[in-house]
Amino acid sequence: MALSQKANIEYHTNGGPMEQAVTDKKVVYDTKDLNLWYGKDHALKNINLSIYEKEVTAIIGPSGCGKSTYIKTLNRMVQLVPSVKISGDISYRGKSILDKSYHVEDLRTRVGMVFQKPNPFPKSIYDNVAYGPRIHGIKNKKILDQIVEKSLRGAAIWDEVKDRLHENAYGLSGGQQQRLCIARCLAIEPDVILMDEPTSALDPKSTLKVEELIQELKKDYSIIIVTHNMQQAARISDKTAFFLNGEVVEYDQTDVIFSNPSDKRTEDYITGRFG
Amino acid sequence: MAIRESFHSQLDLVKHQLLEMGTRIEDILEQMIQAFASSDANRMEQIIKDDYLINQLEIEMHDQVTRIISRQQPVATDLRKLIVALKISSDLERVADLVVDIAKQSKRMKKDSLLTFQVKIVAMYTLAQKMIHESLESFRNTDLLLAQKIAGMDDKVDSMYGELIRELFKLNDDRIEIDQITQLAFIGRYIERIADYATNIAEWVVYEVNGKHFDLN
Repeated sequence: MALSQKANIEYHTNGGPMEQAVTDKKVVYDTKDLNLWYGKDHALKNINLSIYEKEVTAIIGPSGCGKSTYIKTLNRMVQLVPSVKISGDISYRGKSILDKSYHVEDLRTRVGMVFQKPNPFPKSIYDNVAYGPRIHGIKNKKILDQIVEKSLRGAAIWDEVKDRLHENAYGLSGGQQQRLCIARCLAIEPDVILMDEPTSALDPKSTLKVEELIQELKKDYSIIIVTHNMQQAARISDKTAFFLNGEVVEYDQTDVIFSNPSDKRTEDYITGRFG
Repeated sequence: MAIRESFHSQLDLVKHQLLEMGTRIEDILEQMIQAFASSDANRMEQIIKDDYLINQLEIEMHDQVTRIISRQQPVATDLRKLIVALKISSDLERVADLVVDIAKQSKRMKKDSLLTFQVKIVAMYTLAQKMIHESLESFRNTDLLLAQKIAGMDDKVDSMYGELIRELFKLNDDRIEIDQITQLAFIGRYIERIADYATNIAEWVVYEVNGKHFDLN
């Protein structure tokens, strides 16, 4: 709680026009006193974080700090691990998602995810994007066409694939596959997009394209991105949380984190003095 | 365990070079006051001629910092160290320019003219010189207490300058040439500016450490 409160106070005291606008934004995810164990391994310790809508929130930290575990709690993917135990609470749009009455399918239609390696289905480009909507019962060809085009446009890949929609997605380059996966994610019209190191397998040009795309997407979606690339977090995110040994050391405006962090450990990490 | 050792040694090198530039400036300041006290026009001429060397040092510092920023993408304290190096190097370059200005005015001063005022000028200059020295020391040792003390010294220089100007204007003696009075007023003004640059340097030291701007003036 203390950390998220601190972050909120910062917005008021820093006072610029951008910061003031931030306070009007709604909280998408509110994490309170979250603890998570893999067996005896205490992987997340007393996490308190408020994530705001239509922003890019970056999660940084060294390997094993719990950042991927945290993002996977947000769509309950972490519960696929058999020995996992969780205490505390995460609410999404005001409802506790750890509560058993919250159906995971409902959650995942609202929260899409993009992974480190592009993972298209071994199907056509069209079928990859239409997959989700079809599962949700949409059969009308015209509507599906519209969804596919809109999603591919939204993921900034339409112009590159519009003439080969029925070719296999495996024929695309890595960067294109990743944008296709983002398009697949957009097709179900999610509220939040979780991204777990979405550009770490991409070349620099594709990386910049995806980063540019993220800036576009945040107008309509809330994005939470785990990244090893600190320059990337600095370039594209509005807020940054620094995780270390399962704890949130600091959570603040990205400008503050990368120019004048308040915790020595954050400073040492972002300036490469450890990690 | 430091994992960006070569980068951090480049940062150390920048600081080292900046301190060397500072030593050069202190040396020029000392030469100037000696030349002034002994009305040594040749020495003043040399100071004017050598100014290009300081300009070169500033340009080298600028190029080096630009290279490091473009290649290493520093953040937080590291970035501030480099920004501060740029700022201090241009402040030092301005101090050298002011010393040149003093040399040019001093060359036009007649030996022993307005001697009591020359003594006042030397006292004021010595204090400004001390401020430059201490601002560089506060930078060398990242000494915030010393940096803050420099503000108090600047107030003293300002009041010495005010007093000098008031007394110069009070002079009412036909035997004194007006251009001698003007030279002294200009020299006083340049010294006061040097003290301001010392204060600037101290402010950059505070910024490097805290990331916050403090007006010590």
